[in-house]
Amino acid sequence: MMASPISCSSRHSPDELPGDPSSQEDEDCDYEDRVSYSGSYSSASSDYDEVEPEWLDSVQKNGELFYLELSEDEEESLLPETPTVNHVRFSENEIIIEEDDYKEGKKYEPKLKRFTKILKTKSLLPKRYNKKNRNDNELVSILKHQSNQKTGVVVQQRYKDVNVYVNPKKLTVTKAKEQLKLLEVLVGIIHQSKWSWKKSGKQGSGERLVVHGLLPGGSAMKSGQILIGDVLLAVNDVDVTSENIERVLSCIPGPMQQEILYHCPVSDASQKLKSVRGIFLTLCDMLENVTGTQVTSSSLLLNGKQIHVAYWKESDKLLLIGLPAEEVPLPQLRNMIGDVAQTLKFMYGSLDSAFCQVENVPRLDHFFSLFFQRALQPAKLHSSASPSARQYDASSAVLLDGLPGVRWLTLPQEIKMELDTALSDLEAADFAELSEDYYDMRRLYTILGSSLFYKGYLICSHLPKDDLIDIAVYCRHYGLLPLAAKQRIGQLVIWREVFPRHHLQPSADSNTEVFREPEGRYFLLIVGLKYYMLCVLLEAGGCASKAVGNPGPDCIYVDQVKTTLHQLEGIDCHINERLTSSPSPCLSCADWFLTGSHEKLDNLTTSPILSRLPGTSKVATSPTCRRILFGDYSLKTRKPSPSRSSGGSDNGCEGGEGVGLSPHAIPNAVWKQRESQGSDGSEESGALLKVTKKKATLPNPFHLGNLKKDLSEKELEIYNTMKLTSGPENTLFHYVALETVQGIFITPTHEEVAQLSGSIHPQLIKNFHQCCLSIRAVFQQTLVEEKKKALNRGDHSGSTNSISSLNPVKEYGVLFECSPEKWTDQRKAPPVMAYWVVGRLFLHPKLQELYVCFHDSVTEIAIEMAFKLFFGLTL
Amino acid sequence: MGEEGTKGTVHLLCLAASSGVPLFCRSSRGGAPARQQLPFSVIGSLNGVHMFGQNLEVQLRSARTEDTTVVWKSFHDSITLIVLSSEEGTSELRLERLLQMVFGAMVLLVGLEELTNIRNVERLKKELREALSGFAEAAGTAFGSLVVSGRVVAATESWWRLGTPEAVLLPWLVGSLPPQAARDYPVYLPHGSPTVPHRLLTLTLLPGLELCLLCGPRPPLSQLDPQLLDRWWQPVLDPLRACVPLGPRALPAGFPLHMDILGLLLLHLELKRCLFTVEPSADQEPSPEHRRRLLRAFYTLVTASHFPPEPGSPEEKVEDAAQRSQVPRACYLVSGPEEPGTGWRLVALQSGPRRLLLLSAQSPTHALRGLATHTLHALTPLL
Repeated sequence: MMASPISCSSRHSPDELPGDPSSQEDEDCDYEDRVSYSGSYSSASSDYDEVEPEWLDSVQKNGELFYLELSEDEEESLLPETPTVNHVRFSENEIIIEEDDYKEGKKYEPKLKRFTKILKTKSLLPKRYNKKNRNDNELVSILKHQSNQKTGVVVQQRYKDVNVYVNPKKLTVTKAKEQLKLLEVLVGIIHQSKWSWKKSGKQGSGERLVVHGLLPGGSAMKSGQILIGDVLLAVNDVDVTSENIERVLSCIPGPMQQEILYHCPVSDASQKLKSVRGIFLTLCDMLENVTGTQVTSSSLLLNGKQIHVAYWKESDKLLLIGLPAEEVPLPQLRNMIGDVAQTLKFMYGSLDSAFCQVENVPRLDHFFSLFFQRALQPAKLHSSASPSARQYDASSAVLLDGLPGVRWLTLPQEIKMELDTALSDLEAADFAELSEDYYDMRRLYTILGSSLFYKGYLICSHLPKDDLIDIAVYCRHYGLLPLAAKQRIGQLVIWREVFPRHHLQPSADSNTEVFREPEGRYFLLIVGLKYYMLCVLLEAGGCASKAVGNPGPDCIYVDQVKTTLHQLEGIDCHINERLTSSPSPCLSCADWFLTGSHEKLDNLTTSPILSRLPGTSKVATSPTCRRILFGDYSLKTRKPSPSRSSGGSDNGCEGGEGVGLSPHAIPNAVWKQRESQGSDGSEESGALLKVTKKKATLPNPFHLGNLKKDLSEKELEIYNTMKLTSGPENTLFHYVALETVQGIFITPTHEEVAQLSGSIHPQLIKNFHQCCLSIRAVFQQTLVEEKKKALNRGDHSGSTNSISSLNPVKEYGVLFECSPEKWTDQRKAPPVMAYWVVGRLFLHPKLQELYVCFHDSVTEIAIEMAFKLFFGLTL
Repeated sequence: MGEEGTKGTVHLLCLAASSGVPLFCRSSRGGAPARQQLPFSVIGSLNGVHMFGQNLEVQLRSARTEDTTVVWKSFHDSITLIVLSSEEGTSELRLERLLQMVFGAMVLLVGLEELTNIRNVERLKKELREALSGFAEAAGTAFGSLVVSGRVVAATESWWRLGTPEAVLLPWLVGSLPPQAARDYPVYLPHGSPTVPHRLLTLTLLPGLELCLLCGPRPPLSQLDPQLLDRWWQPVLDPLRACVPLGPRALPAGFPLHMDILGLLLLHLELKRCLFTVEPSADQEPSPEHRRRLLRAFYTLVTASHFPPEPGSPEEKVEDAAQRSQVPRACYLVSGPEEPGTGWRLVALQSGPRRLLLLSAQSPTHALRGLATHTLHALTPLL
């Protein structure tokens, strides 16, 4: 079992685990009890002190709250794993994770070192430091502090870090004199090279730098920490010997050099990059001067590995992120640094305030440890129960994480309307305590909009695109979306001040008639319950009262959002049905096309699987068809399960929960659920009844009546016609459709992909996403050119140049061939399957991108597929 | 500098790696040699960052701004070449090959010995300047492209066995020298014989048609007297004459090329030969130069991101196992405005050792692959 991202990167000493008794309240009360005080507590008045929300203790001084209570099963699986970045208190029934509880860090050991501080933790240094010098009593390394080259000293164990003042300007005076004297001139250490290595004979690798004497008045002597007989091991974290000491010292930049504000993580490679930061700074300045454009990236070879470094310049600060090219292709890295900058700006207002405030350092450590984990070990982060879903997540992240959009789940109109109503009700803020009449005072916040996620899919949003994407990128970064994909959330409450660019960018229009954003402050409230997560953007100032200080989460708002989520609980099963029934558009599995022998190929056109798979969507309507399908399917892909699911009597919602609870693959649960449906048609009505009952508790009972039946017949019919490819067979393997104006994209759900298990198919999906990434990089180039063209309209000076480029590229396709990995039959050549990966960029009428993957047997016209896919795709 | 003056410029810098002394700098703009040069301080910094990294065992390879790409490359720890290009559609792959070829050209003309053991920088500078003055300028536009300005019509087996750099560079060299009836030109072979010079003998058989011989100290040029030539070449004069007009078209007259094809490039990866033309339907848009650039940009795009690199090419690619089991076979690209029937279509097809790239204006997208397959089939007897 994987830890959730929030706890993965965390560290905590195990002895603190037994937990804080204070948090053991209401462990036995169930959900209904817990929300019973909803709306009854108000931060504005202290009358209601008898029930406090359980998260109240976790609110920090700056008003921020990150409170996560996992569902019980989740918690069990987590218990054996101790480490957490955050302060964790375990009680029997809940885990409270508080972000940023670093102040009481008696036992807190930072893995990530801060470079604006002096090194404190010796355990962080690579082990070889110790090994190499086992025989020495005193080991010394000199650490120069970046900003002013003056700092303190820390001694521990058998080696010590000494910070000495080094001014390379001295060089200009003395440089010409002699070789191998920088050590004396700059540091004040005298080392007689010829002495010691005559015996040791280790010429090749350079000789150890034993301090033979100290220059009177030199920095080393002034420090008082360096003694004769010490050995100089490293300068600025670069290992030194007599061979390279001069070169290393000569590279020490002058005091005018910029300061490193933040550095993460501590690793050999990262130290190396830090030591050559001069390259990045110089390139940044020089190339901007020469070309008039900002440097975006550079590539270097470090220990035989290629590393891409992305640049992000803001005011006079430069953010650099370096990652191995093997793991992260350049186009992905560029998207990633953009996302990092965007998220940090959303959270802190600017990169300046994110990096320049000392108290942010532990938060940034957490932020970047999550970042690196996402970049380098995506499979670990996506801790869905089923390996297939995890694989799908990991292989699609390369493309999907960089898209300027949120993963959208299309829902039948009726459900959508219901969700819309629920959100609108919340946003109207017209309920008792929130209405201004109630207390006869201004309300605290205006709700600007909200968006609702279900199992990590966006299902409803009333937020402007920019806000939506800001929030989604934040959620993605903190791993909240996969968190809700399984039922992992008992209760989640997040509150923090945010800086949405959409509202804070000064309007370009000077016209006073135009709407102006109030000079308000903005707060993000995220509440999660089971599979649902509702993100609400609040505005203080403007219509609402002004925010003073660092307000914490207001209970009324939290409770109101919670109530909304509870209201939506009844719709669960409909959404789950949509998720599992995979209506639009139908997919095929690559492995089905890999039938080497002839007869099977002939069969292809009449294959029951192929012709019926599109019919999966019929599941809810015609039982006969369904039974045949599943008969085929279980024969083909899995052994019939010996024991019927016990949840058969209660299919809709319970089945969905089964998905979450089952430690096995999602498909199993799905199939079970379906089998039970299929075996007993009467259950459907039972479920219907149940649904209706639940609905009765909803505040808007108006859309109730015809909801379910209409949906199954009408909608599914539409879905049935939704075959994207032409020709008699469905040849579509995968797709991603990005609607940039609304900031959403659609792509097959985990459930859909899980149904297509095979050996080739997962590889195809991986290759598809990687190929799309490079296709998208070409499209992004086109968009840049288009933007430039729009800016320079009328000025045709650039036209002579553009003939050497392929832009504007609007369609790009690659044909791949693949064959099974393990082919044992010697007599026959392995069967080969060919498929296209095609990307299409639409600039008009609105910006859309489509990526599809289909079998080679039919020629497809991307524009037609796009029309089918994008049709009706609206928030 | 700074203001829009850098658009479409390419700067090529050559420095002595140890001392950082610039050996030569060349600039071009829009494909033509340009006077405008980088300021000395910029050259110094460009070299400085690379050297600084090398001292710390970090090898700086490339950097990109929004519109410019810079590539550094060191050869034999002695020569550093830097190219800075803001031509649109520039790719790293192309610049790396350019540097490879530039260094090849330097070896070809001066010899490797001279380049790795720089005793007298001033002398080397002078030599390089003299040797390269005509060559680099003339070849400037061809650098990095696949185009051989003088095409090899026929050659002996051993000529085809020449390594990549010299096989590409020798025809360039011949094309760049001032026209002469006969030449005796000392060359080093960057791949085959970088330290011992050979002699390149050229004889103009017909206007535009030259015979090239690569040989050791013997025979002297005088032995190739006109009578010898007559005896050997007189009988084939007619076929030779027929060759001359073929030059730019590259395909025999009457070759059934589809009307839609505006340009093609056929590579035979094992034989290391290519067939290239942008002449078909020459009366149509775009201009041959434009077509050439489109094909070139497409070639670098597909080579850098999809197709495996040609055997023997220096750049290694980062690929993981999953991708290798998914082999790219074909690739197409549609470029141009939204309106149907406008813009260019480019298609690439890999089949065995052959790789075909086509430029077309009219063909519908779904017909591209068929067009490429048929064309490749028709071309197979030729290469």
